[in-house]
Amino acid sequence: MDFHSNPIIPDPASAPDAYRSHARAWLRENLPSYMRADSLDYRTPTLAESSDWEAAMYRAGLAGMTWPEAYGGHGLTLREHLAVNKEIGALPMPESVSSIGKELAGPIIMTVGTEAQKQSFLPAILQMREYWCQGFSEPDAGSDLVRLRTRAVQEGERWRINGQKIWTSGAAKAHYCLLLTRTGTVADKHRGLLMFAVPMNTPGIRVAPIRSIDNKESFAEVFFDDVVVPDSARLGAPDEGWSAAIRVLSIERATNRMYRAWRFECELRQLIQACKSDTQLSRRLQETYYQRRIGRLVCEIDALKGLVERSVEQLMSGEAIGARGSLTKLFWSECHQAFMALAQEIVSQVGPASSPLAQRARKHFTTAYLFSHAETIYAGTTEVQLDIIAQRIMQLPKDI
Amino acid sequence: MSHQQESLHPEEFAEAAAAAVADALGREPRQAAAVLAASGLFGVCAQQERGGLGLGLEFGVPVCEAAGKLQLHFPLVEQMLLARAFGDSDIADALVAGEKIGVIAWQGSVQQKSATHAAFADACDWILVADEDGASLLQAQSVSVQANDAIDPEYPLYDIAIEAPAVQARLSAKAWAALKNDAHVLYAGFINGLSGKALEQAAEYTATRVQFGRPLSAKQVVRHTLARMRLLHEASTAALQRALRENEYGSARPADTAFAGAVSNAVFIIEKAIHLHGGMGFTWELPLHYSLRDVRKIEAAFNNGQQLENLGAQFIAAA
Repeated sequence: MDFHSNPIIPDPASAPDAYRSHARAWLRENLPSYMRADSLDYRTPTLAESSDWEAAMYRAGLAGMTWPEAYGGHGLTLREHLAVNKEIGALPMPESVSSIGKELAGPIIMTVGTEAQKQSFLPAILQMREYWCQGFSEPDAGSDLVRLRTRAVQEGERWRINGQKIWTSGAAKAHYCLLLTRTGTVADKHRGLLMFAVPMNTPGIRVAPIRSIDNKESFAEVFFDDVVVPDSARLGAPDEGWSAAIRVLSIERATNRMYRAWRFECELRQLIQACKSDTQLSRRLQETYYQRRIGRLVCEIDALKGLVERSVEQLMSGEAIGARGSLTKLFWSECHQAFMALAQEIVSQVGPASSPLAQRARKHFTTAYLFSHAETIYAGTTEVQLDIIAQRIMQLPKDI
Repeated sequence: MSHQQESLHPEEFAEAAAAAVADALGREPRQAAAVLAASGLFGVCAQQERGGLGLGLEFGVPVCEAAGKLQLHFPLVEQMLLARAFGDSDIADALVAGEKIGVIAWQGSVQQKSATHAAFADACDWILVADEDGASLLQAQSVSVQANDAIDPEYPLYDIAIEAPAVQARLSAKAWAALKNDAHVLYAGFINGLSGKALEQAAEYTATRVQFGRPLSAKQVVRHTLARMRLLHEASTAALQRALRENEYGSARPADTAFAGAVSNAVFIIEKAIHLHGGMGFTWELPLHYSLRDVRKIEAAFNNGQQLENLGAQFIAAA
């Protein structure tokens, strides 16, 4: 692929409009049509193609906006991050193949990593040279990480790791695993949790893909059998890494994939355009039943935009986001799941005589509908978010 | 934004507004008008030449939120809207000063000779009604009003029969459309106030009401219901804040989605608040029913179901 990869990036401080225009123009000019979910040319990009695309975005100033320049970032603020994300969301482009690295591993390394770790890992994430997976969940520790069993035992300057992770997205392609272990026993609960950056080619690691509801193998079980890593793979001291992860997660919950509301709007536009291209489906759009449901969805998308923009302003003014990230996570996941159910209801009427765009929409939205069931599970289930809101935001008493 | 607006913050208005609204509670409409006018609430968004403060709608929102929270039974939103819309005439002076009370019939028209969904039309001086090309401010004594108390026997909506109307003043189609957008903003504030208070009351009640040896709020199903109520209230508030900000290109945003969302969310929140109060929630003594009636009246006045369909149709047409 030949992207216009090294454009001059306007200074957002002195020219915010030009900066936004640059983001918009670059994305529109460079996004290949086969990566556009609304295009008849669409096909699933290969990992190399996705990687090239994201690396080009980075060089165009459209990734790593808030990361320090010393580690390859652009040294900007969340406002610019949001401005770029609005433009990213406005196009039907694929999800990042490196979201764990960019949104989870990177921020945690920045918080607790050594200088050498920062220099080594962070630029490689942005340049799409290294991908990460997240090794938190275990068969007996999904939402409840206190029950985590994967054990790390120190042996001089090395650590020996044994255990099993599950629901690990992108494990098959990852270069590193952001691995959460414990140094003691389950009885220690939150104490003694220790985080590592483990190379996935370390002997003793075995990845067993899991077939998911959308008929893909995008996540896996990962087994750690006598995996030995040097002490330099440790991210922070025992407890430090995990407590940093909790802080980062709360921010990430509010700010990661900030483009979602704008992407939902884009998806809705795609659905409607597909319907308009088809005689039978276009009649559906005339029905007040669907108009009302779409109107309600438009309201929810606007509210989600409001929640995201408010989080950015709060963070920019120095406020801690705390548990309020749960509000955004809960809202977007349920909003999108309901949207996808609506989309599925509509595209299920597509048949062999339907327009090519409608058939394309059926394939896209059926897959998206199936995948949307993950959205109320990952990054903290709906029930976990409700608990957080009740406990930490509303401070509802459990006893008197 | 003027220098004055730069130095003021909307949230600072909430406290002062709450004190004035609290003072007006339980008073007859004329007395309430005098109290609210004395605190300058009607003129927050009205022109300074007319005795107002000349501030943006973002300063009116906390005033309306305070009125919602305290369940004010007075056409405060309408009075503020009219004082702002008629800023080029002495009508605004009278409204800002609380000497006159103005209300709005949200459906019907002068040409149809009938209008509906006007609150407090029995206690006002002027009623704004849509006409062929905008809206006419009619003298209340020139029309007859009939209470429609189906949803609210104490504070009914009114149907207006318009036979020989005396027109006090007119709004152009553009000004009438602007007033309706302003109404979405201020009503959304009022509604968010109603639902915020209902949520607060439900949270407080379930935290202190002990059943089976523990407070109700200790039970997960109750906690999750309250958390959902909080989520929707936050969503309504954030949507309204967004509607008040200019878009990326410096243009004003419409407030229709914020309004429609506020209505739907408030209905959920208030109904759940009533439910969580158990048998007490079903009684007249617990004042939550007033909030439910208020939201349902506003929902009906603006035909919110139709509004949602319009929003959907607009998005479909533009896609």
